[in-house]
Amino acid sequence: MKKLLAVLLTLMMVLSMSTLAMAEAATEITLWTYPIGGWGNEETVNGIIANFNAVHPEIKVTVQYLDYASGDDQVTTAIEAGTTPDIIMEGPERLVTNWGAAGKMLDVSDLWTEEALADIGATSQAVVAACKTADGKYYEYPLCMTTHCMIIDRAAFEAADAMQYIDEETHTWTTEGFENALRALAAAGNPVTGIVYCGGQGGDQGTRALAMNLYSAKFTNEDHTAYTMNSEAGVKGIQKLADLVTEGVLTADPSIVAGDEIALFCNGTAKMSFCWNASAAASNKTSIAEGIEPFPMAFPSEDGVPELCGGIWGFGLFNNGDDAKAAAAKTFIQFVSDDKTQGPASVYATGFFPVRSSFGDIYAGTEKADNADYAIFMPYLGDYYNVTSGWATQRTEWWNMLQRVFAGGDVTTEVNAYVDASNASITK
Amino acid sequence: MQKTIDISKQLKQTRRRENIAGYLFMAPSLLFFAGFVIFPMGMCLFTSMFDYTMTNFDFVGFSNYYELFRDPTFGKSLINTIIIVVASVPTVCLFSLWVGSIIYKLKDIHTSFFRCIFYLPVVTGSVAVTVVWKWMFNPYYGLLNYVFKGLGIISTNMNWLGNMDTALWCIILILFTTSVGQPIVLYVSALSNVDHSLVEAAEVDGATNMQVFWRIKWPQIMPTTLYILVITTINSFQCFALIQLLTSGGPNYATSTIMYYIYYEAFKLSRYGYGSAMGVILAIIIALFSAVQFRLAKSDQ
Amino acid sequence: MDHSVQKVTAYKVIAVILLIVLAVLFTFPLYWIITGSFKDARAINSPAPVWFPLQPTDANYIKLFTKPAGLWMFNTVFLCVMAMVLTCIAAAMGGYALAKKHFAGRGILFSIFVCAMALPKQVILIPLLKEMAFLNIHNTLWAVILPTVGWPFGVFLMKQFSENIPNEMLEAARIDGAGEARTFTDIVFPMIKPGVGALAIFTFITAWNDYFLQLIMLNDTQVLTISLGIAKLQSELSTDYGLIMAGAALGSVPIIVIFLMFQKFFTRGITMGAVKG
Repeated sequence: MKKLLAVLLTLMMVLSMSTLAMAEAATEITLWTYPIGGWGNEETVNGIIANFNAVHPEIKVTVQYLDYASGDDQVTTAIEAGTTPDIIMEGPERLVTNWGAAGKMLDVSDLWTEEALADIGATSQAVVAACKTADGKYYEYPLCMTTHCMIIDRAAFEAADAMQYIDEETHTWTTEGFENALRALAAAGNPVTGIVYCGGQGGDQGTRALAMNLYSAKFTNEDHTAYTMNSEAGVKGIQKLADLVTEGVLTADPSIVAGDEIALFCNGTAKMSFCWNASAAASNKTSIAEGIEPFPMAFPSEDGVPELCGGIWGFGLFNNGDDAKAAAAKTFIQFVSDDKTQGPASVYATGFFPVRSSFGDIYAGTEKADNADYAIFMPYLGDYYNVTSGWATQRTEWWNMLQRVFAGGDVTTEVNAYVDASNASITK
Repeated sequence: MQKTIDISKQLKQTRRRENIAGYLFMAPSLLFFAGFVIFPMGMCLFTSMFDYTMTNFDFVGFSNYYELFRDPTFGKSLINTIIIVVASVPTVCLFSLWVGSIIYKLKDIHTSFFRCIFYLPVVTGSVAVTVVWKWMFNPYYGLLNYVFKGLGIISTNMNWLGNMDTALWCIILILFTTSVGQPIVLYVSALSNVDHSLVEAAEVDGATNMQVFWRIKWPQIMPTTLYILVITTINSFQCFALIQLLTSGGPNYATSTIMYYIYYEAFKLSRYGYGSAMGVILAIIIALFSAVQFRLAKSDQ
Repeated sequence: MDHSVQKVTAYKVIAVILLIVLAVLFTFPLYWIITGSFKDARAINSPAPVWFPLQPTDANYIKLFTKPAGLWMFNTVFLCVMAMVLTCIAAAMGGYALAKKHFAGRGILFSIFVCAMALPKQVILIPLLKEMAFLNIHNTLWAVILPTVGWPFGVFLMKQFSENIPNEMLEAARIDGAGEARTFTDIVFPMIKPGVGALAIFTFITAWNDYFLQLIMLNDTQVLTISLGIAKLQSELSTDYGLIMAGAALGSVPIIVIFLMFQKFFTRGITMGAVKG
């Protein structure tokens, strides 16, 4: 009994002392990062931090790796508990619209120098607009961007004589071509062609782009104040997907998430994946089974001219009320994003494309040279509507709507219910 | 006169000594209990009256509760929770009684063997059990589809967790395998403690096995049964890891329970006040269930 | 003895066969975890199951230990042992006081403890989270340990055990001049020891399986428990079942071995908890 108490007391003392010791160290900042390409990989990130510390040894960076399934919950918990990190790496839909709009982020306007504005603006004004709030604050300093596309197994398509429906030059196809290709694949004895995953969480861009493009629907209105998938074109697109599932040439699966769907493509179960981009290509390179010939494709649309959903990623600062840490965090962001050698290297790690036009083609002559293939989709980059308010609710409702539709629900009713619920969550 | 004062003084002193000693002994547990159970409980009641989100903290009275009763998802989650409780509590109890009644008569080593086997899923841990089931349920290369197809029960792969009609039953099945361990242990011990002289007397009188069981053994294991009912009920109400890891409440809320919905509202949508209100309602429901069970216990004695 | 020479009825034979089948089914998930952890991707993803990995691979374990899996294991054990020790000490003292000390407010206090017992922990998670943040221990193992210790079941159980201590023994100790502390450590504690053992096992299993509280309170990779670690593997790499099974095996096999070794204590712990509870 006494021994036990003694052990206990010692343990408690050791524990409290170790917390004290930690508080005394120099400027320490924390970085939380989602798996944005190589930024989810400890080795890669440690390399970047080592480069940073070679120049700024006075700042210590600790990293936490979030995943897309539980990352949002972790940040929400941290906000509630007041234990948010100093820096977070993600896209504007969360940094600006979600946490920024809730007043949890610091304005990073001072990172947006004249030079940065011009350089990034030269790539796309949409990127600048996405990082900025209505009242002119910037909650995000972007690093990289991409367009989300899909991938098909060329070998399976050839075996099913389905390549004829594809414009191999431009990597595009029409809605009709897509349907015919699905039928050809199914007729050739593939039990699973493509899977409309709707298990929730991330990867929503894939299912969204698929449904939108079939009949060129708009996801939101132009000034991003209302969700509009209940338009005629939107309903028609979702109805088409439901019909294809009923016909048995497409699979709908509420039990899997985007990551599962990608894995099922890689192991040859599915013949296409709707959740693909340059980074997915790089990170899945080794897991693609033998015999599969990945061939990137744009989403099918009636006129063959897709409007692809973009992705923007970069850094934001949580407002933790510590100026020294905020300053150190900004130093870090500047080094990682703007430095002439580190900047391109940081982008290279993501597998995406730089937002700064001055970085040029960062993949030329590297082992990721294939990534440049995906640059052909950049001209199809559509409106960055992800910054619409109520995004988190919209996303959950989107999955639920798909689940109801594929369970046999009436498309018009369900899409209207989804749009109503999403619009209700928009804060004016 | 002098003497009586002394006695009362002494009495007072003893009482004070008892009070001080009592509170000192209570201090550690009371500290933890008050600090980490009672205080948050009070806070839960308090915050349930507020529109409490990431940005707001405004008093709204009972409007969270009002909204709850109109929220179809809450209704659905409540129904799912009740389905889980109603489906799993009797099956767990009957199954473990049946297993217990067979194995308690076996040789000691066999008894402990079976007891161990059925207790395994409990010690394996809820998360480990859940992930392996998720793999077995996988619609593309999961074991269950293969086995069921082989047995001719189904002809094409079923999407067990993705189907609104089957998902909840999958959850109930897994919950079942992790719930019977403790009741079986309890029944084995209760049945072994049944007074054998009564059983023998009845057998001599020519009572059938069934009669012996219901007339003599059943009343004696009644307290155990009640205890099992209570713990299984609480256990079923609290089923969370399974749902969060297997289905995240989907498809389309088909497996959402109150417990999961609280988590969802609080940590996905940051609606803390609303979540707290749900917590209060859940506490009331469980209190009612417990009260009914205690009533049953009393009337039986 | 009559009842030991039992008739072998058809029902009994069928029942035992059925039990054996059930036993196989109940053990199967564990078998699938352990064999799965040694399978390569091809065997994992094969639509026709590979019943036994004939070419076992250790790649999953190597991959698992590129994550701080050892630390997760340590965290889990630390958390469970701490919760267990603190609960036993606090509950033994509290239960004794409630049973034997006639202090003012004892009745009310006991009723509150009993009422709180049926309440699910999840109900109070939001304020609890705020409280841990305020105490500056959110995202540390203590944020899980302290609420576990506060749970009233232990006090209740210990009170039931302490009721059995004969008052004469306490009286005798007092007459011998033993102080309150001495009485507790020398007389009371040895008498309620079996109960404390039962409570220890009970708390350990509860803490081990309390995924929810851990999920809310622990964020950083360095403070995760093995359960959270497996869950994180599952959400990061949802289809790498070989790796996930390796994590599941690491998390479950040690406690299963402990369970099999101390099976008697476990069984006794569970039954005593029930009889007194």
